[in-house]
Amino acid sequence: MESRISQDTREQADKKPRISQGVKRTLALFYCQNTPESGEAVRQALEKKYASSLRLFPIPCSGRLDPLHLLKALEEFADAAYVIACPEGACRYFEGNLRATKRVDMTARTIAQIGLEKERVGIVANSKENPKPLAKLAEEILGRVSEIRPSPVLERPKTGKGTKEKKDDHSRKKTH
Amino acid sequence: MITAERKPIDEIRAMVAPYKRVLVLGCGSCVAECAAGGEKETGMLSSTLRMANKMEGKDVLIEEKTLDRQCVKDFVILLDDIVDQYDAVLSLGCGAGVQAVAEMFSEIPVLPALNTEFLGETRDQGYWVENCLGCGDCMLDDFGGVCPLARCSKQLFNGPCGGSREGKCEVNPEIPCAWQAIIDRLDRFGSLDRLEQIYPPKDWSRKQGGGPRKIMREDQRR
Repeated sequence: MESRISQDTREQADKKPRISQGVKRTLALFYCQNTPESGEAVRQALEKKYASSLRLFPIPCSGRLDPLHLLKALEEFADAAYVIACPEGACRYFEGNLRATKRVDMTARTIAQIGLEKERVGIVANSKENPKPLAKLAEEILGRVSEIRPSPVLERPKTGKGTKEKKDDHSRKKTH
Repeated sequence: MITAERKPIDEIRAMVAPYKRVLVLGCGSCVAECAAGGEKETGMLSSTLRMANKMEGKDVLIEEKTLDRQCVKDFVILLDDIVDQYDAVLSLGCGAGVQAVAEMFSEIPVLPALNTEFLGETRDQGYWVENCLGCGDCMLDDFGGVCPLARCSKQLFNGPCGGSREGKCEVNPEIPCAWQAIIDRLDRFGSLDRLEQIYPPKDWSRKQGGGPRKIMREDQRR
């Protein structure tokens, strides 16, 4: 069967990822499944290519995104959490992308209140005239967040001598 | 329904600061409807508090649970097995819920994460308006279903003040004049003659002045 992955996407997949040196940032990227070339094969290929720097979450519409998704991602593993939406006026559910924008704004205000940079969350609307495939958008967003300082929320393994013993961590998040 | 809004994060953080093991308790009823204290909002607040604590290196246990209702004992009692694990409960219930939980578990501080606001309706998605003061003596039949207490800024019973402009209140031009609405409604029903009746000063004792009110229904009791 002829592959439906475009040459452009293949080239993106083969390119070496441009991630800032030093501590790796992790991006949680939620994307509308209407994004071009965003099938499961592409998702797996991108996660393999970027390893721990990128985790992808397909959603049926950007309007399905909840602030809780972004907050949980930031709490548990992500330095930044973004969503890819359809262009304004092109959402198949009419308002999903508009709702997503408001929810991202709300999340940005929330994290700012506890001292996290608003830029850790964001929404990227695909182009109406020349919609980009997921691979291209992922690379652009990774570039955008690469300059954000590593999240002070996340515990990262220390390397080298004198590594402290990990304290008993009470900050677990059991839900009854 | 009862409406509420979440308190500012700084205020909540100051409230829970003395405690090391906090249960964030949501409510699945009115406050879920007004997107203030439901399961989703409980998750969001818990996540935010945990992140803030991690950033400050504070070792605090923050866990979450949402009850169907916090104002009904049969639901609150479900906390019985777990509440001893915590030294404070941060409730996202309305004031009634906070107090019901505090009443049942009187040995643990129960803190309010919300500011309870008013009795109201969901006028539109994301938009709630006050339309009842709970006066205990409903007169909506005389006013075409528009309450002059809750919806008139001056709480006038015997006709409009005459200050409205294009159907908007002179005290708060953002709201419709309640008396315009009353007259329009009664006119539609052909009942404008109801307004010829003079209403005496309201008996406010049915709403306030005698301490917390109660309703006792023997037919409903065990």
